[in-house]
Amino acid sequence: MGEALEQSSLDGGAALAAGEAGSASGPDLPGPFGVGRYARKLQEEMRRRARVLLIGEVTGVGRSKVQAYFELRDGEGAVPCAIWLDDLEKAGLPEGALRDGAEVVIAGGPDYYPGGGHASPSFSFRTTHVRLAGEGDLLARLDALRKALEREGLFELQQQLRRPLLPKAIGVVTAEAGAARRDLLAGLERRGWGGTVVWAFAPVQDRHAAPAIAAAIQGLAAQPRVEAIVVTRGGGSLADLWAFCDETLCRTVAMLRVPVISAVGHERDSTLLDDVAAVACSTPTHAAEAVVPLDCRAARVGLGRSLAALGRAADGAVRARTPHLVALAGGPGRALRRERLALNQKTREIRASSERGIAERLGFQRRVAGVVLERAARRAAGAEAERRRAALHRAEVALRAHEPEHTLARGYALVEDGQGEPVTDRAAAAAAGHVRLRFADGTVGAEIEESK
Amino acid sequence: MSEKPESYEVAVERLEQIIDRLDSGQAGLRETLDLCREGRDLVTYCTGELDAVGEGLKELRLDELAARLDTEAA
Repeated sequence: MGEALEQSSLDGGAALAAGEAGSASGPDLPGPFGVGRYARKLQEEMRRRARVLLIGEVTGVGRSKVQAYFELRDGEGAVPCAIWLDDLEKAGLPEGALRDGAEVVIAGGPDYYPGGGHASPSFSFRTTHVRLAGEGDLLARLDALRKALEREGLFELQQQLRRPLLPKAIGVVTAEAGAARRDLLAGLERRGWGGTVVWAFAPVQDRHAAPAIAAAIQGLAAQPRVEAIVVTRGGGSLADLWAFCDETLCRTVAMLRVPVISAVGHERDSTLLDDVAAVACSTPTHAAEAVVPLDCRAARVGLGRSLAALGRAADGAVRARTPHLVALAGGPGRALRRERLALNQKTREIRASSERGIAERLGFQRRVAGVVLERAARRAAGAEAERRRAALHRAEVALRAHEPEHTLARGYALVEDGQGEPVTDRAAAAAAGHVRLRFADGTVGAEIEESK
Repeated sequence: MSEKPESYEVAVERLEQIIDRLDSGQAGLRETLDLCREGRDLVTYCTGELDAVGEGLKELRLDELAARLDTEAA
């Protein structure tokens, strides 16, 4: 039987699987063996396996009188471990160093405890040495993880997202009591930004940190108002910042459609989150500038300048054309007035001379001469008027070509005085008192209220 | 303004284009006045956006915000 057990050994899984389809009386396999013997055999086989070094995070630490127990895990799986207290003492770890969340390197191999009269059987990784993972160990793991994520193209996804210049609401994941929170707020206020900050507080340094941070980020990203997310904490050792190198967290961030700004640790610290985030900042203050790229105070000054430039452009464009339009608009009126004055003058002269002729000279010749003179004068006046009418017509044609009505049609109004003369400056308006406003569709009267 | 700009950055970009065009001195009277009107509308929009984040920082907690939205939805 011993040989049969040896031969069937522990790799009889295939035979067992094949036999499962066997008869109701049981599959055709070696045995049955006594289970205790089988268990001891299992123990021997386990102990024959090669001893190795493992690296991972400690969870679920417990102790009996003689042993310490814990699980060693990473993103892909876990192994239950046990270490004799003697061996643990020899490892010389600082007090309390073997705690949940610690990154450690252990040496040992698999073992199987077959159980006893009252003790349950169990599998464990018999640990003979343990040390805290150094920067070198963590950096090596980080490097491998970084390469894997980069190969998958996860570093570019966030960087391709559009970041708003002026978000109205941002989300922030940080420790509730951390200095990072205060620094970020100070940075936002320096930018003159007074939007809404939605806080999602999470632990930033233990084995619960990474899942809690990932949940917080997802919670914020689910809020439609939140336009960008900052993840921040102060500096620390790589082990302290290890939560921000968590593979699941980093994959979560890479896939988000809301830009994430990472501000973890100080300048020399580089986490995996920095690689997948839209922007990596060295301090919370820089994060404030990255999440609200617009300096609101400077922007207000800039808008004031733009408005002034627009005003200058509009005024300049109108003013450059105003004298010409005004000259054209005033031309016909002035010509008519000149005409009227000249005609009146001539009429007076003619009347005066004819009256003088009748009163002072009674002779026919003189009366004839007076009539002749008058006719000559009328002819002269008529020729002059004709010439002026032609000039006036030309001016009207020119004026129509420039179409000042187009300007009126755009919403401008022409200010005229009682005589229909354009009022083109403040002093003239004040002097006129009552003016007419000429719009495209007609004219209304207006009073000038103040003249200071 | 016929349409609200898509975002602050879009508005600012258009405003810069307008001012460049006006500074070039190549725009005629009609275009100048149209650009000035559009530019003023953009400045009004941008000022409104700045005003929206200009009244002092407001702080909310995600859990409270989520709870409030749940209540509103219910």
